Amino acid sequence: MNSIVLRDISVRFGNVDALRGVTVELRRGEVVMMVGPNGAGKSTLTRVLLGLIQPTAGSLVVDGRAATVDNTFKRELGYLPEAVAFSDNLSGRQVLRFFARARGIGRREVDAALARVSLSAAAQRAVRGYSKGMRQRLGLAVAILAQPPLLILDEPTGGLDGEGVALLASLIEEWRTAGRMVLLSSHHLDVLEQQVDRMVVLRQGKLIAAGTPRQLRERVALRHQVTFALTSSHGASHDDYAAALGQFGPVTTQTDQMTVEVLPERMLEVTSIHPRFPGLVTGLAVEPPSLEMVYRRLLAEETQP
Amino acid sequence: MIGPVGRALVWYEFIERVRDRWVIVISVLFAGLASAVSLYGKSAGGNAATLAGPSLVTLASLFIPLVALVLSHDAIVGERERNTLGLLLSLPVGRFEVVAAKFLGRGLALVLSIALGLGAAIAVAGGEQAGVLAKLLVPTLLLGLVFLSLGVLVSSLTSRTVVAASTVIVLWFGLVFFYDLLLLALLVITDGDIGVDTIAHLVEGNPTGLYRLEMMERLAGGKSLETLGGQAELPTPLRTGITWLTWIVVSLLLSGWALARRQVAR
Repeated sequence: MNSIVLRDISVRFGNVDALRGVTVELRRGEVVMMVGPNGAGKSTLTRVLLGLIQPTAGSLVVDGRAATVDNTFKRELGYLPEAVAFSDNLSGRQVLRFFARARGIGRREVDAALARVSLSAAAQRAVRGYSKGMRQRLGLAVAILAQPPLLILDEPTGGLDGEGVALLASLIEEWRTAGRMVLLSSHHLDVLEQQVDRMVVLRQGKLIAAGTPRQLRERVALRHQVTFALTSSHGASHDDYAAALGQFGPVTTQTDQMTVEVLPERMLEVTSIHPRFPGLVTGLAVEPPSLEMVYRRLLAEETQP
Repeated sequence: MIGPVGRALVWYEFIERVRDRWVIVISVLFAGLASAVSLYGKSAGGNAATLAGPSLVTLASLFIPLVALVLSHDAIVGERERNTLGLLLSLPVGRFEVVAAKFLGRGLALVLSIALGLGAAIAVAGGEQAGVLAKLLVPTLLLGLVFLSLGVLVSSLTSRTVVAASTVIVLWFGLVFFYDLLLLALLVITDGDIGVDTIAHLVEGNPTGLYRLEMMERLAGGKSLETLGGQAELPTPLRTGITWLTWIVVSLLLSGWALARRQVAR
């Protein structure tokens, strides 16, 4: 599979429009993240792709051809549902063995998946004794078991600790590097920001923005944080420097550094003041606005009358 | 009809159910009571067909529907609540196949539970009496499978496990206790005007009633109703078999249909 397009998808539950003409495209080697507040339609769209919900309108296009979510398509995907809870009566290995049997996969792959999510040591224990994070890792192991070309992760960070999130990030990276596709939905953009190639922002069943993180940053034109490291022994007054930086945006001062929030189009101008303060600045770091901030701005723009 | 996913699911359901503490408790209780009844019949020195047999039929007609409903009430709705129904249906498997596999897997667990319970009673009876009690096995399994399929149906139609559990309890009370009382009330209300054949058909329409009728046939013979003053004939084995099968197939088809038309929104 090289591309999957969910085109003009609409879903109606009774009187509620869960999705209204949403189009999302997945490409080989790409990680697409769906974001949006509760009830935005992220899980509904995921379930349309899984064949769990029949859309009232719209179509699925795989590699340029109209397709349906049949068994052939399902063999190509791995899925982690939100807050999945496997049977307490079975061990982690038994749960995984079921999914392996169902997909015609051997024990070696089961062991590999358990090792990949760092659950080998707990594999024989009953799921009843698993922590929330361990259950989520087991869900991840189920999703990656068959090494599917398309990985669908619904709120994958739920219950994961820092180590678990790092594991998740490395798995997503692995899928991207291998030229596979990942579609994930999350409330927590910050933790997976580095892994995202494209973002889809949904609100009340409508697509309000889509694009690469760079495109979305450009669209909302949020200020970048530019931090200058300063020498403390310099003769020039830090206050003068702060005043000069102030023309570009709000300035935060610390003992040996200053941070100014600058609009993207004025980024180059900031450095133009430095000839007036020779030797004062020893280093510079630019931090673009986080995807979380971009997302919040996009939502705010949408809600403004 | 059952593909690789379905076969895996049958095994998974069987293993998962035989480890369920409620299933274990209720099965052990049934085995204990069945053995006690059998032991009582043996010590009383009576014929199993007239003493231990009918008592076991009464016990089984109460317990087996309950075991079956406990086994099956969360088959689909439990998956939905654990958020694993979507995961299961994201596998290359049809929804009717999921229902069939769940029924078969849980059916195996039920067969094991009944075989252990009645097996214990038969072993305790020993000798010739064991052969008489062995006649209970097949009809009791069928009774269990009918209620199992009804539990799966309830599970497919409900959205919460607690609702499914309440519904099967009502179903159990209704079919095991109140159904016969209702028929009795019908006779009283109509002052006996209702035909004997109609009443007989209505008794046959309830799996528990059908089970009792069949066991009457097996233990006491076809003329037993006549001896008791009844005028209706006991159902033939073919008719009984068709009725059992109809209950199971219709319940499972309705479950599959309910699951197939349902949007799995969570």
